[in-house]
Amino acid sequence: MASRKKVLLKVIILGDSGVGKTSLMNQYVNKKFSASYKATIGADFLTKEVMVDDRVVTMQLWDTAGQERFQSLGVAFYRGADCCVLVYDVNNSKSFDTLDSWRDEFLVQASPRDPENFPFVVLGNKIDVEENKRMVTSKRATAFCQSKGSIPYFETSAKEAMGVEHAFEIIAQNALAQEESEEFSGDFSDPIDIHLDRENDGCAC
Amino acid sequence: MTPPQPQPRIPPTGTAIGTSSWAHSPAAKHSHNMPGHAQRTPPDSPISSSASFYDLSDGEEGEYNTIMHSTSGRGVKLLYSKSKVYVHPTPSSKDNIPGFIALIQQKEPASDRRGSSSSSSSRANKASAYLLAWLPESSLGNSLDAYLKVDLSDSSSPPRQSFLVPPPPTSTHNLGLGTYAFAVPVSDIYSLLVRPPSIGWWYGSVVINSRAGNSLPALFFHDDECQSTILQKKKRVRESFDPFGEDGGTFWGGDEVLRWLKRYVVVEKSGADPSVFLIEPTAEDRLGFGGKPVTPTSPKSPSIPSGQGAASQSTKKDAGMDPLTKALKQARWSFLEKMSQVTTFTRRTAQDIAENPKIPPQVRRLMKNPEVQTLQDEFDSARVYLARWAMGMAEQSEKERSQRIFTAQDVLEMEESDVGEFEILDMEAANLSLQDKRKPVSMTEWKGFFDASGKLKVTVDEVKERIFLGGLDPSDGVRKEAWLFLLGLYAWDSTADERKAVIHSKRDEFVKLKGAWWERMVDASGTAEENDWWKEQKGRIEKDVHRTDRQIPLFEGEDIPHPDRDSPFAEVGTNVHLEQMKDMLLTYNEYNPTLGYVQGMSDLLAPIYAVEQDDAIAFWGFVGFMDRMERNFLRDQSGMRTQLLTLDHLVQLMDPDLYLHLQRADSTNFFFFFRMLLVWYKREFEWVDVLRLWESLWTDFLSSNFHLFIALAILEKHKDVIMEHLKHFDEVLKYINELSNSIDLPSTLLRAQYLFRRFQRTVEAIDRKQSFPAPSSMRQRKPPAASDSTAAAAPQGKTAPANKGKAIAATTANDVPDELEVETKVISPELRSLLSRKVEKLDHKTVVEHGGGVR
Repeated sequence: MASRKKVLLKVIILGDSGVGKTSLMNQYVNKKFSASYKATIGADFLTKEVMVDDRVVTMQLWDTAGQERFQSLGVAFYRGADCCVLVYDVNNSKSFDTLDSWRDEFLVQASPRDPENFPFVVLGNKIDVEENKRMVTSKRATAFCQSKGSIPYFETSAKEAMGVEHAFEIIAQNALAQEESEEFSGDFSDPIDIHLDRENDGCAC
Repeated sequence: MTPPQPQPRIPPTGTAIGTSSWAHSPAAKHSHNMPGHAQRTPPDSPISSSASFYDLSDGEEGEYNTIMHSTSGRGVKLLYSKSKVYVHPTPSSKDNIPGFIALIQQKEPASDRRGSSSSSSSRANKASAYLLAWLPESSLGNSLDAYLKVDLSDSSSPPRQSFLVPPPPTSTHNLGLGTYAFAVPVSDIYSLLVRPPSIGWWYGSVVINSRAGNSLPALFFHDDECQSTILQKKKRVRESFDPFGEDGGTFWGGDEVLRWLKRYVVVEKSGADPSVFLIEPTAEDRLGFGGKPVTPTSPKSPSIPSGQGAASQSTKKDAGMDPLTKALKQARWSFLEKMSQVTTFTRRTAQDIAENPKIPPQVRRLMKNPEVQTLQDEFDSARVYLARWAMGMAEQSEKERSQRIFTAQDVLEMEESDVGEFEILDMEAANLSLQDKRKPVSMTEWKGFFDASGKLKVTVDEVKERIFLGGLDPSDGVRKEAWLFLLGLYAWDSTADERKAVIHSKRDEFVKLKGAWWERMVDASGTAEENDWWKEQKGRIEKDVHRTDRQIPLFEGEDIPHPDRDSPFAEVGTNVHLEQMKDMLLTYNEYNPTLGYVQGMSDLLAPIYAVEQDDAIAFWGFVGFMDRMERNFLRDQSGMRTQLLTLDHLVQLMDPDLYLHLQRADSTNFFFFFRMLLVWYKREFEWVDVLRLWESLWTDFLSSNFHLFIALAILEKHKDVIMEHLKHFDEVLKYINELSNSIDLPSTLLRAQYLFRRFQRTVEAIDRKQSFPAPSSMRQRKPPAASDSTAAAAPQGKTAPANKGKAIAATTANDVPDELEVETKVISPELRSLLSRKVEKLDHKTVVEHGGGVR
């Protein structure tokens, strides 16, 4: 029965503005790159069907605005996430420094049942830029990810389509594992949960 | 797999045409009973499920296969022809193909096939001897002359002289892309959908539905170009003073075709749908089309206000609506109903739909499209996709209708809701010059508003009303001047000299502000925290400017080297306007450090700069705009929340059905309007439309929050699709996001106006009722304490109380139970603020507290 059930994996992509969240998503889903994606306002998502361990799953990739203040209204789509992708620009150390706060912010907003084991993936993007402009070394990034509970780390270039496919395969795998663990614990689409959340919304607005 | 079978192709623009024919296609009924045509080569059967998807590929869409009925290659007799009959393959008139419709007698009237069917009647055989054909002018070559002569010959009878022409192409051979030529044996025609010219359609048209269930392309009679029709019209007037055709409508080319056919076959008007003419109907057909409506009606069928000057042959019940549009609308709703029934959307049900002969061909085609096939596995996306498709289909028909000048009446006809029907009529009647007021304000008109000293000599409201309704001329430079008033840089009561002085001082001030951040950059004189913030803001502005409106020629170029070698854009270069944009935004960051630059502001500045093309002036215009937009960018997003909440209240009041649906879809946070509200639809409309929209909004003519009525107008337009298809927050969000660049501005503005008027009246009505002297106990809903028994004994004995709440109140009140309805509607302060024309600006303290800048 489980194999018959349609699986939707919800993946949230976070990170500072201009690190390439929209580009990564479009490269992965549409195999396209454009230098002129407008700054994302609000949120949008793309879906892609993929095979993970012989199962067909639908990934729903949520693209978000990068400026922190726009996150506060995003609660609606954080909920029910199966994986969170944190993106930074390897040529911009500030965008790396903020990874930790993006992670915290996500955990607060999405409030997953088991925050300790919630799957994150970190992507260091724009590795196509010349070496001397690089501000964050692989070593430094890897060390950070290790310290945060062995978060998988990949380096990518959305522009040159480097590492993107592989990174998202891992993202899909981790998201599926998360989805299944939630399923086992019976904690999904609980109507009471939703009701409470809605009330929270009301207050927040 | 069986080899691909030839199938009728419907070109993309055939949408409206093909759909309408579906209801009249008797494919299922006739496939087993085809007199005299049992051995006819393909394609008689309903579309085969095994047909390859590839023969439905886009590459072949332009091609029509004709129904086979080939005879020997010798000449055939041209009985009648009519010129200037067009096929409209696309909505663009430049793609129209002129041609001839002709009735042709085949030399050998199919006697060789006589034995093929026991049920063949001589009449049917006779009918098979005639071909109804359409041939493009360009394909006629030497025989063009014959076609013209027959066209112009006395049309009351076939020409005495016999004109032989080459047989029309009746094979399935590829006649080249975009060749729509066909020739159908009259015996193969099931019905004609005949639509005389009317107000909505300059050109009358005829659609031929074959017995196999196919529709041929619609033929449009450009009577104004057709010599023979013009002559015939004149002749009628001259001889009988009767310019009307047989049905009482104005005589037109299509009447001729019916007249030709009537000479050879039985042509019978369907009782169910007067626009359908059955050819050689069987008793069965008569039964089927005799009394009851042919087209499936659904409860959702839109009721359309009637337009004047409708085809006179229409029956009363749908007077004024041309039959094709009606059929399209009904088909669309039936389709949507179908779709909603197959929510699980398995491959199996999709296949069922694809094979259902009742489904219009273009829907079947859609279902077999590989892209849709993939989507079928993915239920959520499929729904959004289909919802968009359905809307696209509706818009297509709108576009086809817009060959004429856009009037308020059209908008109403497009409306599927009852919103504003009467309002607009009231408005138009009360003010006959409204059409004039919807014309853009030109520079000449603008200058006429001012006296010799440059002081406004009409009222500010008059000017604002003109701009609100008509906008400003985009090409004569009036925007450059008028925007400075709208943005508050110029006072409305200023003189020309005063305005000059303003410009001078503002230029100086801009230079100073610009110098201030420049120093800051060079000296790094602030605190570490401040310096970090500045650096970050600079980087943010840099990134955003390079991705703002780069499709606009002004911002397109990368012709100068980037001044900052460390910039991520150092390699691609920049242009002078991008650099100006960065300077202005950094200056704003300096000017309003309590807020600073926030993403989205570059979207707000770009149009102002593009119109003013002067950095100092554009900067101050932007500052004026930001005065009202500041609330959108606060760190805590309180301003956005307020607006989304107001929208929530507005939808709740104005469209409770839709609101309840959105509630079920967990979408009443209205987050899907976030982008639209944040940057005033900058990402949803085309550039030129954004300029037009903003200048209307800046007038605050009806409300300083008119942008929320734009949101409501967009929502209302898509209400049916949303309610029918979109069940979850993500679906709603996706659908709304993807409306980007497909929203029609003029109709949206108009719809927003009706909605505002309706809102205003609703509020007034509620206020009136609430101020009506009623017992004070009426003012509040009583808790249901001890009410059950008394409720049963409610004195009025009117209709049974619908719910307990009502019953309870009825016990306390002696009469006017209706008053209770009103009490449930409370006008929130948020809603009331929508009636105000005063712009809500934040005070400095609020910005300091919530701005999220450095100070």
